Amino acid sequence: MDNLYNRIAVFRAERGVSRRELADAVGVNNQTIGYLERGDYKPSLELAMKIAAYFGVPIELLFSFRPFESVADTLRRAHAAGEGPQ
Amino acid sequence: MTLPEKMDRFVQVLHLDWIVREKQPRAFRWAPLLVIAALVTGYVLMARTGGAVVPDFFIGWLVFYGAFLAAAFLRALGPRFTATVHRPLDERELMVKARAHATSGVVLAMAVSLGCFYMTTSAVPSLWHPQVMDWFHLGFGVQAVSTLLPTWIASWLEPRPARDLED
Repeated sequence: MDNLYNRIAVFRAERGVSRRELADAVGVNNQTIGYLERGDYKPSLELAMKIAAYFGVPIELLFSFRPFESVADTLRRAHAAGEGPQ
Repeated sequence: MTLPEKMDRFVQVLHLDWIVREKQPRAFRWAPLLVIAALVTGYVLMARTGGAVVPDFFIGWLVFYGAFLAAAFLRALGPRFTATVHRPLDERELMVKARAHATSGVVLAMAVSLGCFYMTTSAVPSLWHPQVMDWFHLGFGVQAVSTLLPTWIASWLEPRPARDLED
């Protein structure tokens, strides 16, 4: 079975949202959010869409079958392309 | 102090609020197997006396029904199977519950089937066959195992608890 990678922790940190707040918003136990972030649990489509809707992003920005690029690499690439913060 | 206040005070003094306080479920990786072993040991000690009131019977009785009580506690403190008003089961907990009960149901059905096959040997005099009280205790034993097996299986299905400083 394919690994399902996600960036929930990154989005949560960026928005300053705690696990409990996210869990309450999408209707799960906060332990479940922890398992999701660690990749120990694969969410249902319904839960994945709820989390994506909570952060206001398309689902493919949060979940992927391929590992996500690290934030440092993304910033480095954006900086090299002249898009990022100077 | 009004009566409800006195009752609240009484509960606080005796720490009875511990019963209803929200607890984080625990994963019991091996404890349910130890309790099943205690159930079997207690049952064998009771059954081998043939109902005679001897010390072995009382020891067996204590071990067996102590394990029966322990099974109820493990069930209550282990992975969550029952929703509460404030904490319904989420999709992951429902999945764990379903898999744990389905697997333990198959194991129990197999054990009961083997028991039925064993009962066909009732005409063989040298083998052990349950008496009336043995059946009575066996009923409690099956009940205890049917609570322990899902707890044990669900404990292994639960990942390591996710904890961090913020939560």
